[in-house]
Formats: sequence, structure tokens, C-alpha cells
Amino acid sequence: MKGIIFAFIGGACITLQGVANARISQDIGTWQAATITQFTGFVMALMILLFVRDAKKQGFKQVKPLYLFGGALAAFVIFSEVTAIQDIGVTLTISALLIAQLCLTFLIDIKGWFGVMKQKMRLPQFIGIGMMIAGVVILKF
Amino acid sequence: MLIGLILALIAGSLVSLQNIFNTKVNEHTGSWSTTTLVLGMGFIASLLMGLIMEGKNMFTLQHMQPWYWFSGMIGVGVVICLVQATRLLGPTYAISIVLTSQLGFALLWDSLGWLGLTKVAFSFNQLIGVLVIVGGILVFKLGGAREPQRDSTTGKPQQALNLK
Repeated sequence: MKGIIFAFIGGACITLQGVANARISQDIGTWQAATITQFTGFVMALMILLFVRDAKKQGFKQVKPLYLFGGALAAFVIFSEVTAIQDIGVTLTISALLIAQLCLTFLIDIKGWFGVMKQKMRLPQFIGIGMMIAGVVILKF
Repeated sequence: MLIGLILALIAGSLVSLQNIFNTKVNEHTGSWSTTTLVLGMGFIASLLMGLIMEGKNMFTLQHMQPWYWFSGMIGVGVVICLVQATRLLGPTYAISIVLTSQLGFALLWDSLGWLGLTKVAFSFNQLIGVLVIVGGILVFKLGGAREPQRDSTTGKPQQALNLK
């Protein structure tokens, strides 16, 4: 039950983040909003990190350098998401975003790109993606 | 309309990539080291992009409200919730609930028009659409376990990037 509540609140927070970014962007601009929210998040995470000290300093050296820059993608995620929310609303934005996210993850899993464990895809995964796309069509028309 | 849809699809693809990259970092460090690095990188990239696109205007923050400074902490809440949920439920169930909740709240925000965003009138079509999408997520995530492909000779899971 506790796990379900965490997952539920986590999902709410992800959407809230997009909505808050869209709101802040209206006032101070999109890149400014992305910079400020990432900065305060970074400071807070750093404080927690100093408190819990889960860092294995050697660990970062074992990671392929490309992967260390994954966080930089967030700048473009926020810019695209905020612009989309302002253009087509929250529901349609999140729906399209999730479909693209699941489809690409699906493709990467099948192909085993980036060294992820290759996974077989069965019929349910294709039906699932089909239903999600059908849902977006129903949303819009 | 089309631009918004395309941007949302781009955002989703980038989120997928980012999740994979972050997981790789997480495998070697801890979840807070990863979060700090990820948000730090996001901050630097946003600042650089802002400076390239807007130059000095980047630092004129008009109509800045105090709560804007704190909105970044939502991201920290996300990490705490996802880490705990995954630990308690396993990734498949945790992510299914997270995605469902994301969509449910999206519909709620659109219909309430909170935070001064344009209100999108709630319609029966929207509810059905969201329910079908949620159904799709559940079928995708819970329908038939996706087992890693096993090597027919050793019975061990095949390593990806194994070029054969």
C-alpha cells in the first residue's frame, strides 16, 4: 500500500512539475524557468547528498562519459514540454509524451541499444501501444 | 496544434533516453549522487541554451514570484517517491501506477485550469481517451512478462551489444 501511495504521488509530482514550469515560463521565459527550477532542485539534492553520503566517488569513473551527460537532455525536455502544454494543453501533452517515451524505450529494449538487456516483445506490448495511440485519437476527436 | 504534438513526442523520446542514461549512472553510484548530477547537468544546459537564445535577457526576471524558486524541489519529491515505490513494488508495477497517476492529474489540471493555465473543458471524450490510454499502459506493462532473451546454449540471459 505504501508503495502504491509513493507511486501515485510521484506521478502527480511529475505532472505538477510540467504544469509549474509552464506557469513560470509565462512570466519569466522558458529557458529562465528551466534554469531556475533545475538550479533549486540541484541545490536541494546536493544538500540531501551531503546528508546521506551515498556517493561512491569511484563510481562515476566507471560510467561511460556519455551517460553522465544525460541530465543535460532535461533542458530540451522542459523546453519542449512547456511549449507543448501552452499549445495543446496538459492532457494531450502528457499522453503524447508517454507514448513517445514508451515506444522509444520499447525499441531500445528490442534492439538492446546502449547495452541494455535485450528483451523479447510479445503481443501485449503491441496491443498496449495500439490502445495508447487510440486513446489519444479519442482524446482529440 | 501540430507543433505542440511534435514537441511533446520529442520530449517523450528524450525522457526515454535520459532514463536509460540515468539508470547507467545509478548502477555505479547512489540515487542521490545520480539525482544531484542529473539536476546539475540540466541546470548548466538550460543556462547555456538560455544564454545562446536570449543573451543578456536571460537575467531579466520580470514578474518573478517567490514560489518560483521553490518549484525545483518538486523534482526532488519525484525522485524520493519513485525510488521508494520501485523498492516496494518493483519497477513494473511502480511505473504502471506512476504513468496512470501522471495522466489522471493531467486531466484534473486541464479541467480545473489551476495555476492560470488555459482551462481545457472536461469532456466525456477526454475521460474515455485517458481511460483507453491507461488501459494500454496496463496491457503494455502487465500483460505477459517480457523476459530477457536467453542464450539457447548456456541458458543465461544474453548480454545486449553482443554483436552477433
